[in-house]
Amino acid sequence: MHNNDHKRKLLVTVYLLPTVAILFIFMVIPIIYTFYLSFFDWNLIAPTKKFVGLENYITIFTDSVNRKVLLNTVFYIVLLLALNFILPYFIAIVVQFFIGKMKGPYKVIFFIPSIFSLVVGAMLFSWIMNPVSGPLAIVMKMVGFSLPNWTNSGGMAIVIICLITNWKVFGYNFVLLLTGLGAIPKNLIDATKIDRIPKWRVIWNIVLPLNKSIALYVLILTIVQGLQFVFTPISVITQGGPYYGSSNILYHTYLNAFVLYKTGNASALAMLTFIIFLVLLYAEMKFVEGKSNNYA
Amino acid sequence: MPKSKISAWHLLLMLLSLMLLLPVVFMISNSFKTLQDSYHSMLQIMPSRITLVNYQTLAKQVHLLTIIWNTFFMATLVTLGKIITGLLSAYAFKYFSFTGKKWLYLIFVSTIFVPFTVVMIPNYLVISKINLLNTAFGVALPQLADATGIMLFLSAMDKIPVSLTETLQVDRIPAHKALRDVIMPIIRPSIISIGAIFFINSWNEYVWPTLILKDKNSFTLPLALQNYISNEGGTNFPLAMALSTITIMVPLLIYLVFQRYILNSISSSGLK
Repeated sequence: MHNNDHKRKLLVTVYLLPTVAILFIFMVIPIIYTFYLSFFDWNLIAPTKKFVGLENYITIFTDSVNRKVLLNTVFYIVLLLALNFILPYFIAIVVQFFIGKMKGPYKVIFFIPSIFSLVVGAMLFSWIMNPVSGPLAIVMKMVGFSLPNWTNSGGMAIVIICLITNWKVFGYNFVLLLTGLGAIPKNLIDATKIDRIPKWRVIWNIVLPLNKSIALYVLILTIVQGLQFVFTPISVITQGGPYYGSSNILYHTYLNAFVLYKTGNASALAMLTFIIFLVLLYAEMKFVEGKSNNYA
Repeated sequence: MPKSKISAWHLLLMLLSLMLLLPVVFMISNSFKTLQDSYHSMLQIMPSRITLVNYQTLAKQVHLLTIIWNTFFMATLVTLGKIITGLLSAYAFKYFSFTGKKWLYLIFVSTIFVPFTVVMIPNYLVISKINLLNTAFGVALPQLADATGIMLFLSAMDKIPVSLTETLQVDRIPAHKALRDVIMPIIRPSIISIGAIFFINSWNEYVWPTLILKDKNSFTLPLALQNYISNEGGTNFPLAMALSTITIMVPLLIYLVFQRYILNSISSSGLK
């Protein structure tokens, strides 16, 4: 019996080893090393690193560019929540409860853009929104309007960058939310029909609370994944410009590390992002019952 | 509910479908027009004169086949790597009990919440130290540090009846045989769809290629496409659209073939 136990232990180790090794080398150690780098002044190449204590962290909140980037990040989060969470949630409710049958085709169609590269999305939107020759500008010209040069305005650029990720993420989040809605027991909804309770009240008082856990999951995914998704269009279209106007914390981290070669600043920004994401993870595990306890 | 109201909702949903898909349709159609034609008849879906000139120009400017092969090879490496590591760990989690399981699971779940910025500098340094810059392996390795596969495979294994796996244990079937001959055949649809999702995501990957691939001959499709987009407005759109069309073809084909499996896997990933 003891021998068998030993064998099982060995087996588990063998099965887990590849994943654990990769996560250790390319995730755990890098996180620790980034944390270490955040206390130093270094340019990625020089043989020596200068210890600067908490200076890199202080700079995040005192430097005007960093503050601008943090503010932009908040703006990104608000827009991402509206476009990539509330909008698909609304549409998922419509599809589940207001149109009778025919859910399948919408699921299949809405999901299509999520299989395409964000670089393709960036190209498409910079074509559609091209202020001189783009289709939208031409249509607007016909009715006497002109499309502003949005790449010159940080705020407008952020809106369009969020629209690009919305094009990609909408269907994905829609499918997740629709699945959650579909799991709500049908007899519960049918009962409200007999009692003639208005539909919007049923949604508000029964459907939304019952779908809370998957909705929260998608909400947090929208922030965590969304902030990483906008990196691509920022990098392809604006490079964070005009004057950091469309940059966010992740792009600014990349810029600091690989363009300005300030790994200390970059690492401090990265650690801040990581802490924010960990708080979100904690919120998810706290409020989404059962999700993390399945195998634990 | 009144019929008219239902039709109004359908109208809205169809409008939404058009907004999501029309740009792609215009992209494909404009890639078969000359630069002039695309200016004058931008919104004409069927080109009046179909031309391959954009594709020919592309072929002259970049090594199209090399770039397609790079993308394919990198995506294949990532897909195989993630399937193998994911299957093995999910199996260990599902059918073995061991000390530290709870903690390991927590660590696996949290990897989804690690922003790429917090690992990009050390990973870049490691990849350059082991001389894998500008190689498919160099781009693939950091992408493997992702535990979503384990979650997806676990939810697939949840559907296997417990009675079956109990029988395997009673009959003392060796673990590797149980995995290969019983579990894997049962969850084959999930393996295919999860593999398809991995492949598509990796095909479209932008961050790691940007960091690791500097030499033009090692570029993947999204990187090559980026060079055809300029924020100064000087983009030759039919040309960029031709390269975009090439970029979307493989994911689109995979989606059309495995669409039902893929949607099922995505759906079950959220339901836990």
